[in-house]
Amino acid sequence: MYSWRLFKDTINLVSTALGLSIDDILPLSLSRHGSPPILHLYIFKPSAIVGKYQDIEAALRLDRCSNRGVEYNRRSTGGGTVIMGPKVVALGLSIDIDQPGLKKGIGGIFESLSAVLIKALRDLGVDAGFRPKNDLEVDGKKIAGLSAALETEKAILFHASMLVDFDIPLMLDIMHQPPLKLYDKGYSCFSQRITTITEQLGHDIDMERVVEAIENAFSQKFGASFEKDEPDAWEKKSIEDFINTRYTNPAWIFSHKHPRSKMGIGEFKTPGGLLEIYLSLAGSTIEHIIITGDFFSTTKDINLLESSLKWTSAKREKIEEHLSDAWREDMIYGVNVSTLTEAIVKAKENLVTI
Amino acid sequence: MAIIKGYDMPDELYYHEEHSWARVEDNRVTVGMNDMFQKEAGDIVFVDVPEEEDEVEQGEVCGKIQSRKWIGKLCAPVSGEIVEINEELEDDTSLINQDPYGKGWILVIEATDLENELINLMHGDSLLPFIDQEIQRTEEERANA
Repeated sequence: MYSWRLFKDTINLVSTALGLSIDDILPLSLSRHGSPPILHLYIFKPSAIVGKYQDIEAALRLDRCSNRGVEYNRRSTGGGTVIMGPKVVALGLSIDIDQPGLKKGIGGIFESLSAVLIKALRDLGVDAGFRPKNDLEVDGKKIAGLSAALETEKAILFHASMLVDFDIPLMLDIMHQPPLKLYDKGYSCFSQRITTITEQLGHDIDMERVVEAIENAFSQKFGASFEKDEPDAWEKKSIEDFINTRYTNPAWIFSHKHPRSKMGIGEFKTPGGLLEIYLSLAGSTIEHIIITGDFFSTTKDINLLESSLKWTSAKREKIEEHLSDAWREDMIYGVNVSTLTEAIVKAKENLVTI
Repeated sequence: MAIIKGYDMPDELYYHEEHSWARVEDNRVTVGMNDMFQKEAGDIVFVDVPEEEDEVEQGEVCGKIQSRKWIGKLCAPVSGEIVEINEELEDDTSLINQDPYGKGWILVIEATDLENELINLMHGDSLLPFIDQEIQRTEEERANA
């Protein structure tokens, strides 16, 4: 059995600067400091964390974050905004891309590490599955988000956030969501797209139990035994450096290295009813999409269609191609791929820069 | 033009093992990401490139590329000074997916040591074992999963 290191803290709420700095030294420790893989399981203070190449000012209402005591920061892995807090497990992992048991390629890595978290959720009594390309879901609702970056040499940094409970009104207040017409509609939209371990189980669960389930699932998947550990002197110095140069540095937090953000709404009448599309683009890519309206469909099918488009090209032919790949007959009564594509293109025509 | 195991890998280019390619015209080297990378990565979201006039070493990570929620590396295939960046990628990163060896080029390096460095890159027949190995590694892992 291999010995891996475990940095674990389920008692103290960690600042974004400290938590993200610890995560950033994990791949460095692996590739340059002779460390075995390290799993970091912890809990953030209430915070909003954007992806490395996101426009933080377009993603978040920073004044509301400050007013509500919600920290904001930028992580070093990809993807969109995550809202963290006392009921969300944060996971950082450094692992070599050639680690036995880890599938190859970008898709393979996400699939392998997702399988571990799915096992952890199943052990807790939650029947989750992998939603291509980078989320875990239960009945079409997101329960965990994943992101990663290939860092030094062959070491990757993998991030995950697992929702034990989640404050949707807080998210709606501090994030620049697509301009949903009514607050209640926004709440309903997101409650149909997000679920939590607590909601699935129907009762509260101790954070320590969730963290232990994750630890055990990694141990079984990779045949590793964990030794609870803390950063050594070299790692502590590197953490301090990252806190100073990145996570408390406005140049990093407000970085302008990101694609332009735009949001738009499209409405389209179809035989099946009115389609309303809320669209957010990052450059030429769909970052977020909500398909709503007064048509007949299921939450699961709508979420599947939305997922098939997230982080893909916003070009008409690509939208049509991805929808066709995901489409099954009668997913939306009275609507087909080309009418849905048309509605999304209409939302694209109405895009405004945030 | 060579299609190797379903991947378009033009004969005239040189390839770094981290999937960047180099087109050599005298000392001017145009750089991009190869077809195998773009197929595996999927839709490219953002390309984080260095500034013009920056110096890079062969094999150095000189940029980052985000696809989906993954951030990968752009490794400089040769050493030299960056003299041009493809500004069209700012508005349309899908060019890397649509035309990786044409409109999807990323940057140009004015090379300083081509004679000694080109031998470190894959070219022509040496490419086939590399592609084979990459495919085999993927298939082995799938079989073992």
